[in-house]
Amino acid sequence: MRRTMPMRRTVFFVLGGLLLGGIIHIATVVMVPYFATDDASTLMRQFGRADVFHVLPPAEAGAEPLANLDPKMLYAVCRFSLNDGPVRITASLPEDFWSVAIFDRRGRNVFSVNDRSAERSALDLAVLTPVQMAQLRQDPPAALETAIVVELPLDSAFALIRVFVADASLLPGAKANLETADCSGTL
Amino acid sequence: MVGLSTAWFAVDRGYMFGSVSIGDWTAWPRAGTPDADPYSLAWLARSGELPLGAGEGIAFTAQADHDGEPLAGNCVYRVVGQTPAARLWTLTAYDSDGHLMPNAAQREAFHSQEILRRSDGSFEIMVAADVQPGNWLPISRVDYFKLVLRLYDTPLTGGTFGGSTMPEVRREQCR
Repeated sequence: MRRTMPMRRTVFFVLGGLLLGGIIHIATVVMVPYFATDDASTLMRQFGRADVFHVLPPAEAGAEPLANLDPKMLYAVCRFSLNDGPVRITASLPEDFWSVAIFDRRGRNVFSVNDRSAERSALDLAVLTPVQMAQLRQDPPAALETAIVVELPLDSAFALIRVFVADASLLPGAKANLETADCSGTL
Repeated sequence: MVGLSTAWFAVDRGYMFGSVSIGDWTAWPRAGTPDADPYSLAWLARSGELPLGAGEGIAFTAQADHDGEPLAGNCVYRVVGQTPAARLWTLTAYDSDGHLMPNAAQREAFHSQEILRRSDGSFEIMVAADVQPGNWLPISRVDYFKLVLRLYDTPLTGGTFGGSTMPEVRREQCR
């Protein structure tokens, strides 16, 4: 009896420790996105102010704006917020492949479309929250008829446009295309 | 300690769940989407990566050759075969941190429209630090590197991977 008591205590402490470890493990993993300083939306701040598209420099070895970019694509990024109303994103883009994605504050890709599925070469997105959509339904603006409507419960977010650049001679044209991108419009 | 160290290990290793492997390549189609698991969300927050959405395409990564050996900069690799249907694909070599590797040829990637193909439509890309005939994708003599094959505008993003074939990554010689 005297021998088994310390045994039981050891087993108890080991199990308790593992259980506590498990709780800390889960808590740490879940908390990481809230404390991370290198997440995508923080990284986007380096390119400049919000509500404007910034064309990123082409991804070349030793001079990449971000890691893991496709060097065959040219990118433009715009940070925006839906807190002050809906946002309209427009651009006239080339005939070749392009796509646009909207990322939420935590860097999740919440909406994406490419030139084929958009069925047009001019990009026209109306981004708004479900609440804003409900308010606009009373008297829908003309833009809602023509634009691709993206209804998402977003606060701060960013949009990323990527344009395929088949070879270096097409780079100036792709850059000019991306410079037409605008995210300051409202509905 | 147990909790913190396992958490660090799990998050640092990257996407753990929801992976799809075809041959020598692995993709994480749900990573970075609203239905992602907490581990890939934590990894995403730490890496700052911008994952492709379902409307854009899917990225497959190879970190080991056909025999399971890690890809090393001192070896010559032959990437041979075909890709699943896609309007456009690119093949890019990165070092283990996801950075492009400087090289004299100033080539860091190939895309599907510029590649030399065989008459049956299949292709062969030589990945090596030294000059190779045909499609040559240069790398640096790093300890480890990875290849990323991005399929843009592909039916694969619909979630049906069965019957898809990916190119094989075969090691030729090392020195």
